[in-house]
Amino acid sequence: MVFKLNLRYILAMGWYYGFSTITRGPSYIIASLSLPLTMFFLVYMLSRGALLPYAVVGGFISMISSNALSSAGDAAFFRLELKIQDLFVATAISSTDYMIGIMLSYLVFSLPGLFIYAVIGYVYRIFDPFSSLALLFVLICMIVATTSISFIIAGFLSHIRNVWGITSILSIVLTIIPPIFYPYSYLPKYAIYLLAISPATPASVLMQGVMGLQPLQMPMAAILIAETAVYFLLAKKFMHWREK
Amino acid sequence: MIELQELEKVYKNGQVALRGISASFKGRVTSIIGRNGAGKTTLMRILSTQLIPTSGSATINGMDILHEQDRIRKNLVSIPQEGRPIGLLTPFEHLKIYLAARGMSFQGATEASQYALKKLELWEFRNSPTDTLSGGMKRKLFVAMAIASGAETVFLDEPTTGLDPVSRLEVWSSIKELSSEVLLTTHYMEEAMALSDDIVFIDNGMIIKKGTINELLMDFDGKIRVESTQPVSGWTRIGNTYISYVDTDSASAYVRKGYSVKQVTLEDLFVRYGVQIES
Repeated sequence: MVFKLNLRYILAMGWYYGFSTITRGPSYIIASLSLPLTMFFLVYMLSRGALLPYAVVGGFISMISSNALSSAGDAAFFRLELKIQDLFVATAISSTDYMIGIMLSYLVFSLPGLFIYAVIGYVYRIFDPFSSLALLFVLICMIVATTSISFIIAGFLSHIRNVWGITSILSIVLTIIPPIFYPYSYLPKYAIYLLAISPATPASVLMQGVMGLQPLQMPMAAILIAETAVYFLLAKKFMHWREK
Repeated sequence: MIELQELEKVYKNGQVALRGISASFKGRVTSIIGRNGAGKTTLMRILSTQLIPTSGSATINGMDILHEQDRIRKNLVSIPQEGRPIGLLTPFEHLKIYLAARGMSFQGATEASQYALKKLELWEFRNSPTDTLSGGMKRKLFVAMAIASGAETVFLDEPTTGLDPVSRLEVWSSIKELSSEVLLTTHYMEEAMALSDDIVFIDNGMIIKKGTINELLMDFDGKIRVESTQPVSGWTRIGNTYISYVDTDSASAYVRKGYSVKQVTLEDLFVRYGVQIES
C-alpha cells in the first residue's frame, strides 16, 4: 500500500482555514491561549517558580492537545451540519488528507502559544538540543493522537449539540488531570498507567524524563507511539468517510 | 451514462432504502423525483461512492462504483443535500480548497475559480465570508465548484430545497450553465420540468416510472383529476384527500356526485408516480 498525501489540499486547508480565518476571527487565538497560559501562571505562582520547567513543557503539550481536541467541533460540524465532509469524499483526497488538513489549520491557532512557550524556554534555558528534538517528536505524536480522538468523537455523534459537552469533559480528562503541569512522581504508579489512556500522559512522563526532571520512563515512548497509531486507525474507521 | 443493476441498500437498523433497482440514465440532465425518504439521497450517495450498497452494482460512464471509485471521484462532483459553505471562508477560498482536493494545481485552481465565479456572477462577492451571502448565492457557490472542476458528471441532491423563489431561479440558471452530465434529486416538479431531459420517479426504494415530461404526461391524455374528502377504494390518498384520474367525458358525472374536478397539472405526475397508492 502506498501512503501518499494530497499536500496541495492539506496546505490549502491549513492556509485558508488556518491563517486566513485568524484575521477574521482573532478571538480564536486568545481562546486557544487562555487555558494553557492560565495553567502556566498558576503553576508558576503556586510553586514560586520551582516548577517552571514543568509549566513550560506542560504548556507546549497542553496547547497542542487542547487545540487538537477543539477540532472535534469542526469535524462534527462539517459532517453533520455543513455536509462538507460528504463534498470532499467524492474528490481525490483520502480520509487521512481530510483529517490532516483540519489538523494543520488548528495547529496554526496553536502557533502563537507555542511561540510564547518557546521564548520562555529559551530565556530560562530549559531546553537543550536533544530535549528540543524529543519535544518535537512528542508534539507531533500528540497532535496526531488528539486530532484522531477528536474525529473518533465526531464520528460517534449524531447531533452537533453534544460535541461541546463531550469535548469539555474530555478536555479535563486529557489535558488537566494527566501529569502535564506537575511531576508524574506525585501520582501512584497504577494511576499513571490508568491515565495513559490520554496521550498527554506518556508525552509528559517521557518529556519530564528526557529533561532530567524525573527518572526517564522509556516504555512511555512505546505507549505514546502505539496510542498514536491506534487512535489514528480508529479515527479512520469511525469518521464515516465511506459508509457501509 | 449511469447504469444501475439490482442496486439494493438495507441499513444496519433494517430500513430498506433501495429495493434492487435497475435502470439506465442517458439524458444530459436527469431528475430523480420522490417524497422525503423515497431513497433519492441513498441512491445519490451510493453513486457518488460515499455509501456502499448492500448488493447490486452501478457504473458511471462505464466505471464501476465499487471497484473504480478513485477514477469515478476524479470525474465526478457530488453536491450534498443541504450542503452549506464554511461561514468564515470566502467563495474564492472554498473553490481553491475544493479544486486542490481534486488534484488541481494552485495556478489552475485560481484560474478555474475566477472563471466559475465570473460565470455565475459571484465575482463581486469572491472575498466576502460566505456567512454574509444569501442562501441562493451559497448554493450557487457549490454549482461554481462543479463548473470550475470541469467534471464529466455532476450530482446535485435537492439543490434548491429551502430557498425562496428568486434564489431558486438563480440556482436554476447556474445549473443550466453546467456542461456536464447532471443527475439531480428534487421534490419540485417545476424544477424537474425546468432543468431535465428525463425524469425518474422513485418511491419506497423502487423506480415507479421513467421518461421524458411529454412521455409521462401522455399517461394523462384525455384525463381529468377528481378529488374527494371521503375515502374511495382504489384512489390515491394524500392526507384527507382522495384522488383519481378519470376520462374527461365522465367529469360531469363526478361533478353531479359532489366530487371536485380539476385540470391535470405537472403536480399530478408526482401524485400519481411519486406516492404509494393506498386502497
